[in-house]
Amino acid sequence: MQINYGKREVSCKLVYYGPGMSGKTTNLEVVHQRVPEKSKGDLTSIATEGDRTLFFDFLPIDLGQVRGMTTKFQLYTVPGQIYYASTRKLVLQGADGVIFVADSQAEKIKENIESLTDLQQNLDEYGLKLEEMPFVIQWNKRDLPNALPIEELEKQINTFRAPTVPAVAATGEGVLATLKLAASLVLDRLNTKEPGAATKKAAAPAEKPAEAPPAEKKEAVVAKINADQISRSYFTQYCQVQYRLGARTEEVDDFKKFSMDEKKRLLESLINHGLLLQDAKKRSIVVSKEELEVQLKEFARRFKTKEEMDAHLAHRKLSLDNLRNEATKNVIIGKIIQKVIPNLNEKFRITETEVKEYYFTNSAKYGGKSFDAVKAEVIAGIKNQRKRELLDEMFKALRRESSITIFEENL
Amino acid sequence: MKDEKLKDRRLVYYKDDFDQIEKLLDEYVKLSNARCVFLIDKEGHLVTQRGISQTFNAATLSALVAGAFAATKEMARLLGETEFSVMFHQGRKDNIHLSLVGDRAINATVFDEKTTVGMVNLYSKELTAKLAKIFEIAAKKITSEPAFETGYGDSVKDRLDDMFKE
Ligand SMILES: Nc1nc2c(ncn2[C@@H]2O[C@H](COP(=O)(O)OP(=O)(O)O)[C@@H](O)[C@H]2O)c(=O)[nH]1
Ligand SMILES: [Mg+2]
Repeated sequence: MQINYGKREVSCKLVYYGPGMSGKTTNLEVVHQRVPEKSKGDLTSIATEGDRTLFFDFLPIDLGQVRGMTTKFQLYTVPGQIYYASTRKLVLQGADGVIFVADSQAEKIKENIESLTDLQQNLDEYGLKLEEMPFVIQWNKRDLPNALPIEELEKQINTFRAPTVPAVAATGEGVLATLKLAASLVLDRLNTKEPGAATKKAAAPAEKPAEAPPAEKKEAVVAKINADQISRSYFTQYCQVQYRLGARTEEVDDFKKFSMDEKKRLLESLINHGLLLQDAKKRSIVVSKEELEVQLKEFARRFKTKEEMDAHLAHRKLSLDNLRNEATKNVIIGKIIQKVIPNLNEKFRITETEVKEYYFTNSAKYGGKSFDAVKAEVIAGIKNQRKRELLDEMFKALRRESSITIFEENL
Repeated sequence: MKDEKLKDRRLVYYKDDFDQIEKLLDEYVKLSNARCVFLIDKEGHLVTQRGISQTFNAATLSALVAGAFAATKEMARLLGETEFSVMFHQGRKDNIHLSLVGDRAINATVFDEKTTVGMVNLYSKELTAKLAKIFEIAAKKITSEPAFETGYGDSVKDRLDDMFKE
């Protein structure tokens, strides 16, 4: 990454890695098609023989000014063939993030694993570790009949538990999602303030000789949910986003301001969230674009104009991704509830007596308004309460079947 | 913090150093009579370009130059050198002269018949020595200049979302 305060410019490098013919060049071609004219440079394929990349493909993207910094991404692919090892290494130099394009086909499993090992070795020569880098795996060629199930690929290839995106690069499916995910992992590191006030001026040479490497500091883990770990930085981010999503207006950007009780409460909710996602995966519940849209529209309805919504989000420092995550969670909750509780409508049938009862026990809430005036509101209230009870039950059940460890000392 | 290593790898150019660099490059273009010069870091990012160069795609040129240099490193290794510090490509009208600047950048000069490779070679040696010195001093300085506005990364994400709206 180059940060140039003279030109007020940031330039990040993303590298598409993977075995030969897995679809790396195709990814770049799709991105090239989808980037608006004014923001893209030429897609350059260098010294190609047939359709095989010998040197590298290159696509520059210019996002324009963001908060006063012109922001650019440089996308590279590497040649996958084994005999171009040195080219792969040179393209990796200075990579800020890596996208591994895996070929889902059953007979390619070995090539995928070899390429991944090769990636690790090359990074190692630059003193880098894959698990510490922004890293995304794309399961490509999902359209082919001999594609392995994703679970199988996860087990055999994704030993890092890196985030993954299924794709059919040939039709463009999943390509932008992969790029956005990798970019956001790189960008998340630019959100955190530099530790301490002092920054080392100018860059040290990229290949530093073994100058007493700092003792490997593993990132602190705040909890384990079955096989998944929640890192402290992820938790911090979650807390901040939850605060911003919630009704609170005061800014809580400083994690230290969270009290221990709040942290514990938020961790519980994050664990629930994690359990939910794991359960959804087990049940093969996926959220379609349309379902997500419905949720997002629901949110947008709260605002008169798009500008008003953007302003609201900007004020809360929320990104569309934050909203999407939240919306996805809501859709999943709905779907799981429907799967787990077959007689859902039964549970939501409410009798007149129940409504009256609820009205009288909670009369304070309705400020003396007549029963008929608030009936609809009461019914909604009861439904909400039922839903909460159902969720509670569900989370209790999930927790019974799960192994959860909390590391309070890391909170 | 696991990002420590990554941060160390960032190539940072601060305003005062950058201004100095551009001044040197301007002088160099004038003295050598070249058409233009590109300063490119070894990872392939353009640092800056000076002179008249509107017809070039600077980003792609930078990636190629950095790639070419790294590739010749392999060549050098075979000959028992660690790397070649100068490369020269001759065209019918335009030529390009590449030279290493310290251990982090490459200076790419485009020139035509108004000058000679000898002149470019001479002045670029001077230039690279001066630039290397700036880098060297800069690397030792510590500064407290704030890195980024908070929320910068999120803002870029939004921009990406906008750009790739379905
Ligand atoms: N069926 C199918 N073919 C794909 C897909 N993605 C890429 N391909 C094809 O796979 C071949 C190799 O793709 P390419 O992008 O050149 O691979 P690279 O070597 O990784 O750059 C090409 O013929 C592509 O059209 C996909 O998702 N499904
Ligand atoms: Mg290719």
